[in-house]
Amino acid sequence: MISAVALVLGVVLGLVLEPTVPAALQPYLPIAVVAALDAVFGAVRAQLEGIFDDRVFVVSFVSNVLVAGLVVFLGDQLGVGGQLSTGVVVVLGIRIFSNAAAIRRRVFHA
Amino acid sequence: MSLLVDMMNDTLDGAYAERAQRPAGTPPAAASVRERSRGVLPVVVLVLLGLLTGTAIAQVRARQDAGTGLRAELADEVRVRTARTDELAARTEALREDVAAVRQAALSSDVAGRELADRLGALGLASATTPVSGPGVIVTVQDAPAPGAVGSLVPAEAELDGRITDRDLQDLVNGLWVAGAEAVAVNGQRLTVLTAIRSAGDAILVDLRPLTPPYVVQAIGDPADLELAFLDGSSGRRLMTLTSLYGIVFDVSRAQKLMLPSAAVPDLRSASSLPGSGS
Repeated sequence: MISAVALVLGVVLGLVLEPTVPAALQPYLPIAVVAALDAVFGAVRAQLEGIFDDRVFVVSFVSNVLVAGLVVFLGDQLGVGGQLSTGVVVVLGIRIFSNAAAIRRRVFHA
Repeated sequence: MSLLVDMMNDTLDGAYAERAQRPAGTPPAAASVRERSRGVLPVVVLVLLGLLTGTAIAQVRARQDAGTGLRAELADEVRVRTARTDELAARTEALREDVAAVRQAALSSDVAGRELADRLGALGLASATTPVSGPGVIVTVQDAPAPGAVGSLVPAEAELDGRITDRDLQDLVNGLWVAGAEAVAVNGQRLTVLTAIRSAGDAILVDLRPLTPPYVVQAIGDPADLELAFLDGSSGRRLMTLTSLYGIVFDVSRAQKLMLPSAAVPDLRSASSLPGSGS
C-alpha cells in the first residue's frame, strides 16, 4: 500500500516539477525506467514468495538502472546505441512479463 | 538456446533466494541499523522510480509538443500568408481593371486620347499587362510517379527521381517562346519579360509564387504551327527524352480559345525611357 502511494507520489512529483535532466542523460531515462520497473516486479514477486529483502531490492534497483544506462551508453559510443536499447528493452520486457505472470499465478491462482 | 530458456525461466533475482537462505548473515550491530531503515529505503527507492518515470514522461511530452507545435505553427503561418497573398493578388487584379476602365473612359473623349488608348492597348498586349485571349496550345508536365509506384517506369530502388525542376520549366517556356508563342502563362500566372522561374527547396516559383503540380503552361499562337515548332524544337525533344527516361508526364494539346490573365505591371525603379522616344 505504502509502496503504491510512494510510486504514485513519485510520478506526480516528476510530472509536476519536471526536473531538468542534463541533455547528456536524457536518452538513458526511458531505459532507466524500464530497468527500474524490472527490479520492482522482481521485488513484488519476491514479496509474494516470502523471500523479499529490502537490501536486495535497493541494490538490484540501483544496479539495474546503472547497468542498463551503461550498456546503452556504451552502445551509443560504439554506434549501436539504438540496437542495444532495443535489446535491453526486449530482455527486461521479457523478465517483466514473466515476473508479472508469476505474480498473477500467486495472486489469482490462475 | 539455454540462454533464452534461462532468460524466460529464471526471472527472479538470484540474490533474493540467496539472502533468504542465510537470514542471519549480518552482524547484530548492523542489523539494528537495518531494522530502522527497513521499510523506509524501499519506499524511497519507489519514489525515485516514480520520479524517474514521471520525468521521462514529461520529457517525451515536452519534446513532442515542441516538435508538433512548431510545425503546426509554421503550417498555419504559411496558410495565412498564402491566403493573404491570394487576397492581395485578387485586389490588385480588380484595381488594375478599374484603372484600365477609368483610363479608357478618360481617353475616349477625343481623337488624341483614342490614339493614345490604342497605343496603350498595344503596349499592354506586348508587355503582358492586359489579359489576352486567342487560340494556342496547352503543355502539361508533371513529376513522374514516385519510384516503384504503379505506372512508374523507374524501379523502386532507383536513386533518380522524375521531378520537374525549375530548369525544365524554364526550358519549356523558352521552347514555347522560340516556337512563336505570343503570350505565355504558367498555372494561370502570366509571364512578362521580368518574370523569373526559379526554385526554392522543392517548389518551383514563378514570380516568387510557388506552383503546385501539374504545371500547365498555356501559350497563345497558331495552334498547329506552335505545337509543331515546339515539339520539333530542342525543348520539346528534351521533354520527350525525359518522358522516356524518367516517366514524367508530358502532354501537349491544342486549344481554340485560351484566356490568359494579365501580369502585374512591373515596378521599374531604375529604368526610365530615353528622352524623345515617346511614352
